Amino acid sequence: MTDINEPEALSRKELEERQNAHPFAVPFLWLGNQKVIDNFIWLPVLGMIAMIALGIVFPQAKPAPWDAIPGSWALIGFVAYSFIVLCAKPLTALLARDESYYGEGGLADPEYSTDPDITGEAHHD
Amino acid sequence: MIDIYQINPGLWMILAGLICALVPKGDAFAMVRKAFIIGAPIFAGVMITQIYTSQEVLAGQINIGGLELTTLRIDNLSMVWGYLFCLIAVINGIYGFHEKCRITDSSALIYAGAAIAGVLSGDLLTLFLFWELTAISSVFLIWKGGQRAYAAGVRYLALHVLSGVLLLAGAIFYAQSNGGDYSFNDIGIDSLGGWLILIAIGIKCGFPFLHMWMQDAYPKASITGTVILSAFTTKMAIYALARGYVGVDILIYIGAIMTCFPVFFALIENDLRRVLAFSLNNQLGFMVCGIGIGTELALNGVVGQVFVHVIFKSLLFMSIGAVMYRVGTAKASELGGLFRSMPITAVFCLIGAGSIAAFPLLAAFVTKAMIISAVIYEASYDPSLYVIAAMLLFASAGVMEHSGIKVPYFTFFSHDSGRRVKEAPWNMLVAMGLAALLCIVLAFPWGGYQMLYSLMPYEANYQPYTVDHVVFQLQLLFAAISAFCVLKKFKLYPAEKRGEILDFDWTYRKFGLGIMQWIGAMWTRLSVQTTRLRERAIEGAGRRLFHIFSPAGAMSESAPSGLAAVLTAAMLIIVLIFVYFVR
Repeated sequence: MTDINEPEALSRKELEERQNAHPFAVPFLWLGNQKVIDNFIWLPVLGMIAMIALGIVFPQAKPAPWDAIPGSWALIGFVAYSFIVLCAKPLTALLARDESYYGEGGLADPEYSTDPDITGEAHHD
Repeated sequence: MIDIYQINPGLWMILAGLICALVPKGDAFAMVRKAFIIGAPIFAGVMITQIYTSQEVLAGQINIGGLELTTLRIDNLSMVWGYLFCLIAVINGIYGFHEKCRITDSSALIYAGAAIAGVLSGDLLTLFLFWELTAISSVFLIWKGGQRAYAAGVRYLALHVLSGVLLLAGAIFYAQSNGGDYSFNDIGIDSLGGWLILIAIGIKCGFPFLHMWMQDAYPKASITGTVILSAFTTKMAIYALARGYVGVDILIYIGAIMTCFPVFFALIENDLRRVLAFSLNNQLGFMVCGIGIGTELALNGVVGQVFVHVIFKSLLFMSIGAVMYRVGTAKASELGGLFRSMPITAVFCLIGAGSIAAFPLLAAFVTKAMIISAVIYEASYDPSLYVIAAMLLFASAGVMEHSGIKVPYFTFFSHDSGRRVKEAPWNMLVAMGLAALLCIVLAFPWGGYQMLYSLMPYEANYQPYTVDHVVFQLQLLFAAISAFCVLKKFKLYPAEKRGEILDFDWTYRKFGLGIMQWIGAMWTRLSVQTTRLRERAIEGAGRRLFHIFSPAGAMSESAPSGLAAVLTAAMLIIVLIFVYFVR
């Protein structure tokens, strides 16, 4: 098992990644860095806080009833988004079926498949 | 001498499509077709410019069977759609430049030409003609998706032909109640004809429960086909609504529902082209709602939204199409990390995603705000419309979810799928680049969105770049992205899984089919019984006839001469009566 924290292993991995990447993508390979991904959350959160503060200073010119609450649009955005996403589980249970359900072959299939976020392992139908 | 300024510009594209169908196969001839693909829409656009004179132009009048048809009408409304369709046909032509397919080339031209001719038609019968032609020509783009697209294409064709039939029936009823006038102006829902036409349009622009053809057929079409399909049919229907149903209240509610329900389907859908089809449905909802509101601000917003939507939606379909072209799939569960291989496509996709989510400085920021603002302004007179405004805001967060985040994130970022492919072909990049450039230019604060305003049917005074609008829009968008990050961090965001998501089309693809199969089985059983009964009846009748007319039958027996004389006299009387009255 290679330890990716070792400078030598990291540079080898980086080198390999650079060789395989498109030249335009090379300066942006840091986007795939786990630390960057983990800390990305601060960007929208800080942006949201800044906009809520600015929203208090510059209120809506033609306010809707909910604009009486400071940060109302942020609240709507956060709650609406979370509600939609949290509906996924019951909706999947209710509506998802096997790809061959209609017997028409479903949509175009790839050569191989990976299942992200759950197993991380390749699987085949 | 034919006056070419009397001819609907869409007809030139249809003609070009027919010529393309006759051009032989082979690489050398493919270039001829490509010249038509790009040249014909440019020519049609030039013709629109030549004909339109800032006043309504009615031309191409023909009389068929006593019906006066106006085959060409260019005014400040149809002109926008005409230019838009020409523009996107050129971009689509560039996108499909690598594809050496005669069917795709010719059907794409005929389809785009029919859409242009449809929006530039001045009466309902001409509209019907091109309405049907868009259906018939576009189905080939679906069938080019391969064997698995065949059934979806048939369903698509059936629904669209039904839409055409309803349009024709509605036009006839409407004209009857309107003194035989078929001209296509404000229709409304006061008559049966008006309702039938509304349902016909509803099928084409994906009203709830009539929308399934979009998510069924679009993801199964060829890569180029999906891009082309996304631009014309639904926007032609939006034009018809904007022409005939402005200010019809029911459209506000239909539109609001249309903005919300696709959000949930798009969330759990794995195929990104189908996600974009749901997203298309959701965006159409904003337009339908704006038409229902019907104020000048709302209609300007609708026209602007249609214009930019065609561009950014095509851009999103093009970027996912480019990925599919290189990788072989558009399923989110199979993608990820592609920014390493396709960075230019990734940037274009992000511009499309930012545009649809209405980020400041990108396309929909100006136009979507006009529609939502129009609803909020109207709500000050009718407070119940605040519910609609809230639904539109909810849907805006939904747009951010499925098109703003899901599509680019699961394709180009997310986990690394390990796929290392080539960047998209040059022609795809050029087409995407043009669309991305338009997304930026048409929202640019200094001279950009003003170009869009110059196309709007009413004078536009709306100021999109006010501090409050920018700040509150960014609140919504940053909050949605924050929610995504939080849900992802706590593993509450659902993983993309392969599967078929049931939609309303289940009612006829499974339930309806099951019922028909049951009726078929029952009919087979019944026919066994009825065949037996029929055979017995025929056999019995034959036996009786034999007993009567055969040489040994009753009729062959010798009859008394008196009876024979009476029968002959009776027959003679019948003949005489018949001859008397017939003469």
